[in-house]
Amino acid sequence: MSDTPFVVVEGLHFSRGDKEIFRGVDLQIPHGKITAIMGPSGTGKTTLLKLIGGQLTPDAGRVLIDGEDVHRQSRKALFAMRRRMGMLFQSGALFSDLDVFENVAFPLRVHTDLPASMIRDLVLMKLEAVGLRGARELMPAELSGGMARRVALARAIALDPELILYDEPFVGQDPISMGVLVQLTKRLNEALGLTSVVVSHDIKETLTIADYVYVISDGRVMAQGTPQGLDVDQDPRVSQFVHGEPDGPVPFHYPAVDFFTDILSTGGRR
Amino acid sequence: MKRSKMMELGVGLFMLAGVLGLVFLGLRVSGLTFTAPADTFRLEANFANIGSLKPRARVTMAGVTVGRVAAIELDTDWYDARVVLELDSELEGRLSRDTTAAILTAGLLGEQYIGLSVGGDPETLADGDTIRDTQSAVVLEELIQQFVSNMVSD
Amino acid sequence: MIERVTILGRRGCELLEALGRAGVFLFLSAVGIPSREGWYLWLRQMHFVGVLSLAIVLVSGLFIGMVLALQGYTLLVDFGAEQALGQMVALSLLRELAPVVAALLFAGRAGSALTAEIGLMKATEQLTSMEMIGVDPLRRVVAPRLWAGFVALPLLTIGFSVVGVYGGYLVGVEWLGVFEGSYWGNMQASVDFIGDVGNGMVKSLVFALVVTWIAVFQGYDLIPTSEGISRATTRTVVYSSLAVLGLDFVLTAVMFGGLN
Repeated sequence: MSDTPFVVVEGLHFSRGDKEIFRGVDLQIPHGKITAIMGPSGTGKTTLLKLIGGQLTPDAGRVLIDGEDVHRQSRKALFAMRRRMGMLFQSGALFSDLDVFENVAFPLRVHTDLPASMIRDLVLMKLEAVGLRGARELMPAELSGGMARRVALARAIALDPELILYDEPFVGQDPISMGVLVQLTKRLNEALGLTSVVVSHDIKETLTIADYVYVISDGRVMAQGTPQGLDVDQDPRVSQFVHGEPDGPVPFHYPAVDFFTDILSTGGRR
Repeated sequence: MKRSKMMELGVGLFMLAGVLGLVFLGLRVSGLTFTAPADTFRLEANFANIGSLKPRARVTMAGVTVGRVAAIELDTDWYDARVVLELDSELEGRLSRDTTAAILTAGLLGEQYIGLSVGGDPETLADGDTIRDTQSAVVLEELIQQFVSNMVSD
Repeated sequence: MIERVTILGRRGCELLEALGRAGVFLFLSAVGIPSREGWYLWLRQMHFVGVLSLAIVLVSGLFIGMVLALQGYTLLVDFGAEQALGQMVALSLLRELAPVVAALLFAGRAGSALTAEIGLMKATEQLTSMEMIGVDPLRRVVAPRLWAGFVALPLLTIGFSVVGVYGGYLVGVEWLGVFEGSYWGNMQASVDFIGDVGNGMVKSLVFALVVTWIAVFQGYDLIPTSEGISRATTRTVVYSSLAVLGLDFVLTAVMFGGLN
């Protein structure tokens, strides 16, 4: 990690309506590594990815990708910048009117003038990398959730991006496809020298592949470090999250009046 | 991207049908004719009252449509209506000079049109000539008025 | 009291904001030169909103023409004016019924489907992922649908009129025995191509723009949940029906009402 970080997030503030989601988040995401961003559900991890991808604009703070401020770009420059990024969505987000082949070919057709034969070769290469070359003629509706995500991964790497953002890649998968996706993420990162950002709350899987981990809670970075470092972290909040304890500093109960007084009270219908 | 011939054909037929439909509305429903100006010649006729005759109304001879009303305007010399008729060029030089033009009504409340009937004059009408012998539209109110005044005087 | 005025003001602001968003949305989508790919996307939407709506529009047109002739005949025959049947059928179809009914059917058949389709693409993050790939969904998804609707509805309206006039002919001439010559003759004498067919087409173009605009905007602007999609679909049909009927009155007043 001697070189400058690829993505820098500085003092990020963002709120949606009256709800403050980020209150000063600072992140440094190094080149060629897998950085995991974790945190309990509802802490705005997906929002953070959208802020990095330039789809949302922060209230304060900035996001630098390779030294350029994402939110200070013209629409055109932003779209050009996005060619260097791939994003994998929670649902896969395959285009439902195109088959698997066309989905992967889509970024190539839009951004390059390659001849049809070369597009075919590239698409088959990417599909081979995710092990779905045989499924090229299926429509997205015919794929299982795990397969759809692998196709989406092939599409995300179609243009050989430098940065790839994973939004909850492991959520809701059976153990086999979860294992496949974990392996793929790791292998692609090594083989292509990608910078990966994985947003997830699947602790076990994420910790096995991540090089560096940020834990976000209450709109701030609560903890950071290597997976090994976090595992032995003494902070009770970190320990609760990393080890998945049901009760701790993050309470099991939604805030309420004392149970005993509540149950004995007679006023009101509730 | 995969292209479906059937779909392209479908859209093509759809648009073609739309254009043909518009042509149908033009020719059959609003009675436009796309005949070249060379195929017609013009005659004028002055009427004391045209009733509700409209431009593009039919001009007939013995019930056969032979032309249309091209324009209607007020003749400020005589304060009557000057009607310009556009007739098939076949008839040019065949209508006698004493041809009469009458404004007729199809049925009791139907459209009004012009009926021509030939006379016996050996000389014929040429392009731009005026038909002298005309018969105005029958206006229902006038007819009733006449009838009532006749009854009173009887 | 003051609270109510405040609520009224807030609603007004929200309405203006939504209108502004819809306007910017229309501008960004419709302006721009389509690529070759864009032509093909347009063609595909033409098939979806045009060709597939043809059956319902033509069948409705036929029935409406037949009903017009039947009703018109029973009314006109009392005055001995059944020769004017063709004129009545053609004028009511060309000026009013074809543009309005075709637009209402179009809103129900194609408009709601457009809203649901775009809404589903939004809910499954397809629009976001398109943006991340560096493709503007307004140009790629919305623009072809907007233009297809704009072209398809006037064509459907023409089809509606033609079939309706023919339906009137079937009932009036073939069944009730109106003289064929006076059916067409009266029609031709009273229908003006520019004034009646042309104005009907202008109406249809306006309705096409409004209905498609409402449909794609509702789809693009909805809350991306199943409930949001079903609500937006309903809103598309309700709003476009109201807009069509309201605009029809305004356009009729301007075109035929002597308000010009």
